[in-house]
Amino acid sequence: MSGGSRARAVAASPAARAPEGDVLAARLRQRVASQFGRSLHIRTLDTGSCAVCEQEIRLLAAPHYDLHRLGFFFTPAPRHADLLLVTGPMIRAFDVAARKTYEAMPGPKLVVATGACALGGVYPADAFVYGAVGEILPVDVWIPGCPPSPLALLQGLLVAVDRLAEKVSGLTFTAGGDAEPPAREAER
Amino acid sequence: MSALGWLAVAAGGWGLAVLAALAGGGRAGAIRLCCALSGLGGAAAMAGGVSALLWGNGPVVTVGPAEVAGSLQLQATSLAGVFAALLGLVAVAIAAYIPRYHEPGPGTALYLAVYNLALVASVAVLAAGGVVTFLVAWESMALLCYLLILRHPSRDAVAGGAFWFLALSETGFVLIIAAFVILATKTHSMELSVIAARAHLVSPAWRDTAFLLALAGFGFKAGLVPLHVWLPEAHPVAPADGSAFLSGLIVKLGAYGIALFAFRLLPAQPAWTGLVTMAAGALTAAIGILYAMNERDLKRFLAYSTIENIGIIVTAFGAAMIFGAYQQRALAAFLLLAGLYHVANHGTYKTLLFLETGVIEHAAGTRDMDRLGGLIHRLPRTAVISLAGTLGIAALPPLNGFVSEWLIFQGLFQGFRTGSHLLGILIVTAAATLGLTGGLAIYAFVRGYGIPFLGMPRTRPAAAATERGQPVTGPALLAVACVALAVGAPVVLLVLSRAMRTVTGVGLRPVLLPGNLTVLPAHTDFSAFSPTWLAVFLVAVTAVPLLIYLAGRPRADSVTVPVWDGGMVAFKPRMQYSAMTFSAPTRVTFDALYRPSVSVRRASDDPAGRSGPVHYESAVAPLFLRYLYRPVIRAVEWLADVVRPLQSGDVSLYLFYVFLMILLAYLVGAL
Amino acid sequence: MPLWFARGLRRGIVTTRYPARPDRSAAGLPTPPAFRAGVIDRRLADRLVAVCPSRALHRDGGVLVFDVGRCTACGRCQEAAPWAVTPSGEFELAGTSPAQFVKQIGLVQEVGQ
Repeated sequence: MSGGSRARAVAASPAARAPEGDVLAARLRQRVASQFGRSLHIRTLDTGSCAVCEQEIRLLAAPHYDLHRLGFFFTPAPRHADLLLVTGPMIRAFDVAARKTYEAMPGPKLVVATGACALGGVYPADAFVYGAVGEILPVDVWIPGCPPSPLALLQGLLVAVDRLAEKVSGLTFTAGGDAEPPAREAER
Repeated sequence: MSALGWLAVAAGGWGLAVLAALAGGGRAGAIRLCCALSGLGGAAAMAGGVSALLWGNGPVVTVGPAEVAGSLQLQATSLAGVFAALLGLVAVAIAAYIPRYHEPGPGTALYLAVYNLALVASVAVLAAGGVVTFLVAWESMALLCYLLILRHPSRDAVAGGAFWFLALSETGFVLIIAAFVILATKTHSMELSVIAARAHLVSPAWRDTAFLLALAGFGFKAGLVPLHVWLPEAHPVAPADGSAFLSGLIVKLGAYGIALFAFRLLPAQPAWTGLVTMAAGALTAAIGILYAMNERDLKRFLAYSTIENIGIIVTAFGAAMIFGAYQQRALAAFLLLAGLYHVANHGTYKTLLFLETGVIEHAAGTRDMDRLGGLIHRLPRTAVISLAGTLGIAALPPLNGFVSEWLIFQGLFQGFRTGSHLLGILIVTAAATLGLTGGLAIYAFVRGYGIPFLGMPRTRPAAAATERGQPVTGPALLAVACVALAVGAPVVLLVLSRAMRTVTGVGLRPVLLPGNLTVLPAHTDFSAFSPTWLAVFLVAVTAVPLLIYLAGRPRADSVTVPVWDGGMVAFKPRMQYSAMTFSAPTRVTFDALYRPSVSVRRASDDPAGRSGPVHYESAVAPLFLRYLYRPVIRAVEWLADVVRPLQSGDVSLYLFYVFLMILLAYLVGAL
Repeated sequence: MPLWFARGLRRGIVTTRYPARPDRSAAGLPTPPAFRAGVIDRRLADRLVAVCPSRALHRDGGVLVFDVGRCTACGRCQEAAPWAVTPSGEFELAGTSPAQFVKQIGLVQEVGQ
């Protein structure tokens, strides 16, 4: 047990890195992507979701989406996992278990939070939930959706291992619509 | 010195030990002297046993006038040699164990006196050359063992357990007397070797009756099902070395009695008696291990395991009888040899396990598996020694249990050589039953070793157990003996095959050990196996990769992290497997035998259990006690009630009885 | 190998070719809304904020702030103002930092004047 290896394990997690644009961070991401890009073991974690996200995640292994062709596999053991796929709003009763699962994974490791609940929507923080997974675990990639379709999940996983670039920062969610506003009842 | 001489030296040593114990009055020094003498006697007994094996039957020595029925007739025989050697080994190990186990005091002094007298009685049983000597020695041995069990008469259940032992022992004794009386009167002699020589003159009906009576009578002592119920009652309540002595030696004396009748006194029995013996043995083995699976008390568990192993031994004897009846004399001798080998092996590792149970009980305060756990860290030496015993009794290579069970299996698989299809099938069925037994034994002993020793301690006394002041030498000696009996199997087989030449008249040496390290089961065209090379191979196949790894492993640093426990907030020791859950699959599969019952009591009807503690009880039906012994006991009580009016207390009625008896005596004398 | 065999193999493969080629089933997915910036004033914005069950919308002065991460694509905002809110059709929404999900839509002073 040496301090050097422990430091290595912590630094390898991209979540602990410096803000965007950091050269070191970019090199680290490249390193991680080269390790995981073609062979990634995913461990799913449900922190109190309604389980519809889990159904979509399960579809990933079905013939239509088939994540195995991309080199991704599901594993139940955190010790064998590279990526933690977290759903649910992180109920307070589960925080120790989530933390333990994360710490049982050997570095380098990634955390992907998926579903509107995990991203802070649906449930505000109260006596029973934290509201977002990011309160307890260091998240690398977020995948919105309720539930996220398997295609969105695939895109998110490929973004996590740098096989695809993220698109959402370039989207504006504004539209030039052609519908007219309703006419006023009485013209003033 | 002759074998009998060595045995006499042993008896003398033990007699001196008795005197030392009684004279010393319980002082620690006297106890150590007594144990030293006991150990020396044991060494002499071992020498006597081995020389009896090698040099054959000795002469019959009569002490006292030969015409008087009560005179002492002694003879050292090859058949008894294995048992005598085992007696010696057990005595040495227990002698090393006692000083650290028993508290000094007058109770211990008396106990040691009784124990050494029991050793003398046992060696007298083995060296008995005449009927009266045998019976007197047998009964003394039984009574002395009864006193051994009663070491702490005021504790719970001790009196009950000891009484079960005595009652069943006496019942068996009556049957043994009957068997011997039949043979003695029909052959007009009280000397065992003369009876053996003249047995062929007795009519087959009387021979078979005598054999069956002996099988039942000695079966009570050996623990054949359904005559076994005293074993799980008496073993837990005796002190650890007493239980070790009972299981390690005394039940083997029952097996000796069966072998005496089957192979020495009545050697030409028809096949059906062998079949009965073999069936009894196979049934005993299966039922023994099935009940062992569901015991939480370590000593009851080991007691049932003893029943299982006696079943294996008696199966081997029965099959040997069958082969003898069909002129397959080499196979018969081979199976007898295998049975005797198993006697020696089982005596070694069962004694070891009982002694270690005593250590555990003193260290952790309990024998209940579900209150132990993690003892491998607290009691490391005990754990290693117990592991040797457990590997032996589970018949895992390369230890001794595997060797003797392999021999028995190879003998049984050759059932086709009898030429009778039916017998071939029945013998292989017995082998299949022993196979089931062997598999269940591994399951049972993974449970019996894993639950107490591995995992986390389930209670505070188990977490606080310490090895300081606990006996180690005695059990360690037995562990070394286990390994020696395995690796030195060629030597053991040489010695035993010399003995077989005396007992059965068949020389096994050419087909047993052609190259001195390979064993052939009585015929050259069946199978072969080398225990020594197997041991070497297993050690090499483990050690060589380990050495390669140690030499060339990467120098990367490793990080120590907590065990992945599923993310639980707090993992409590009580969340581990318990002994009963580990064996639950057997209760489901064999529920017809066990008739398990479960009772659950809650404080209220709250389904989440928040109202308070839940009482859960799981029980296995005691079939033999309920359906065999209770009815017999009730019948005896009813009979006693019917006969009670005879004891009215009226003196004139008693005088009338006397008058009636005198009248009856005249009438009978006149006829 | 006959052409029909190869064609059958091609057509018989059920697995999507995503990400190499777009998936045909993507067209029917529910997606977060797109807002017509020129038609939403402060009053409409407040109504949209009130109707969103997932707290994805809030008004910060003259800006409607939309957190895509919190959107569940329930469609209530579109139902409330179908002339101003339409489905965006975007489902590849993964992001590497929370700031990437926060979108700002400028509000007009008053509509219909």
